[in-house]
Amino acid sequence: MRGLTAALEWQSRAVVGRHLRVYLKNWHTSFLPPVLEPITLLLAFGLGLGAYMSSGIEWNGRLVGYINFVAPGMLAYATFMTAIFQSLFGAFIRMRYQRTWEGQLTTQIELRHVVWGEILWAGLLTTSYVAIVSLVLSGCQALGVLQLRLEYLPLVIPIVFVAACAFAALGLCFTALVPTIDHMNLPIFLVVLPVGFVSATYFPLGHPVLAAISTANPLYHLAEGLRGLLLGDRAGYHLAGLAGLLAVMLVILVPLDMRLLRKRVLGD
Amino acid sequence: MAGMPPLLEARALVKRLGGRLVVDGVDLVCHAGQVLGLLGPNGAGKTTTLRMLYGFLSADAGAIRFEGADVSRDLNRFKRQLGVCTQEDTFDGDFTVRQNLEVAAGYFRPRPPEVRRRVDELLERFALATYAGDKPEALSGGFRRRLMIARALVHRPRLLFLDEPTTGLDPQARVAVWDLVNGLRAEGLGIVLTTHYMDEAERLSDALTVLAQGKVVAHGTPKSVLGDMLGEHVVVLEADGATMPAVAAWLGTRGLGEPLAVLGVWHLPLSGEQLADFARSFPALRYEVRPPNLDDLFLKLALPCAG
Repeated sequence: MRGLTAALEWQSRAVVGRHLRVYLKNWHTSFLPPVLEPITLLLAFGLGLGAYMSSGIEWNGRLVGYINFVAPGMLAYATFMTAIFQSLFGAFIRMRYQRTWEGQLTTQIELRHVVWGEILWAGLLTTSYVAIVSLVLSGCQALGVLQLRLEYLPLVIPIVFVAACAFAALGLCFTALVPTIDHMNLPIFLVVLPVGFVSATYFPLGHPVLAAISTANPLYHLAEGLRGLLLGDRAGYHLAGLAGLLAVMLVILVPLDMRLLRKRVLGD
Repeated sequence: MAGMPPLLEARALVKRLGGRLVVDGVDLVCHAGQVLGLLGPNGAGKTTTLRMLYGFLSADAGAIRFEGADVSRDLNRFKRQLGVCTQEDTFDGDFTVRQNLEVAAGYFRPRPPEVRRRVDELLERFALATYAGDKPEALSGGFRRRLMIARALVHRPRLLFLDEPTTGLDPQARVAVWDLVNGLRAEGLGIVLTTHYMDEAERLSDALTVLAQGKVVAHGTPKSVLGDMLGEHVVVLEADGATMPAVAAWLGTRGLGEPLAVLGVWHLPLSGEQLADFARSFPALRYEVRPPNLDDLFLKLALPCAG
């Protein structure tokens, strides 16, 4: 329990503050990916691939334009990938190469704060990323490219934050387990990409087996939940499923992260 | 100091790592204004002991007290009083020298007062002001160590842990670190120091605790530790003479074990009486007699069968 409540302690905020300070030093380069990536993806998937589906695609029994189908999925996928990559590579580099954690642990910061600091930072970074992507989507809507219910965008932000924290908790497990940075390919190809594949972010899951598997996938519920909000359809089922899965992930994975990283970092 | 509890006191510390008993009942005491040298060969349990003392690892058994209070009751409050300089450089490579000190200050509550002034003071004192805007990687080894020690002091701790602070430094940089440690002791800080350099331990330490195989094998002033563990004299002789078998036999019959051999030279720690006996037994042998030093102690500890 103490491991979970450490999220609220000042030490976790101090760790987040440190990461934020580094991020703000490099804001001009950090700012580019969330602006350019959605534009590129909307051009490639929405306008490029979407041009071959001029009648749109069927979703929840109705036809929607492919670009409108993709845009909420893009927010979900950005949430997943940003949080996972931050907790995999960013955290691993700080732990292994920069020895930032070891330096922090010689102060009043304890391992549970380092873990929560990484998770909360991944959540915050991902949320800011998704907020910028949302602004780009709003710009596209103003240009008439998209037709989304933009009034629901503010609801997306807290959902994305909690989801990103849970995905970061998953990423930290792999950070604790992989021996070297080269071994990151294992979780990426065996877990991250398959989860992304069975998520209905960029295409609907027509195959019954994939559809069945996707019900246990939080990214699927995130994509469909955001889609429901932004396209005006039932979102409650997916958001409830998402909340349940995220709660289970956080309650199981955060203590597991602490246990694995205690062994890895402290040798204890 | 009489009647006052020591700044730091550890009793019967035990730690197992990976199923192996690494620290086995270690006791130690450090007072304010005192440098306690923690010595021992590789694998003796020094760093593990130190890591338990500064709260990085939890002890399996035993107690650590700060000014008489059990630190496990409020570890966070205890850690506010500590400064830690680890063996490896763990400064934050994303920040400049100045920012490293500022960021480290943010890891303590209550917040250190007047952080900016404190950082300026430390930059000046540790001769780091010229490099305040540089990344730590740009510093030489000696200045990196200074930064590590300065960072450990940014919140004005009362107890400082220095884990091999001069390893890898050139002699000039080592002397500079010694001067800093002396100054900090004079200001009343308690300092727990581990080192492999025997001259460093002898010069800096007011008291020594010597570990071997996870246990305390000697404690006291450097002079008393050497006297207890080695004797008053060390006989140094070339080990290629024909009389060597006789010398080995002489050691064996007196229960003094094997001689400490370094590069073909034997070092025999002896008491005054044993030295007189040795001189009578080998009147024609050429040898040198010198006072013992901590190198002899290390050699003895590294060769436990040496008696």
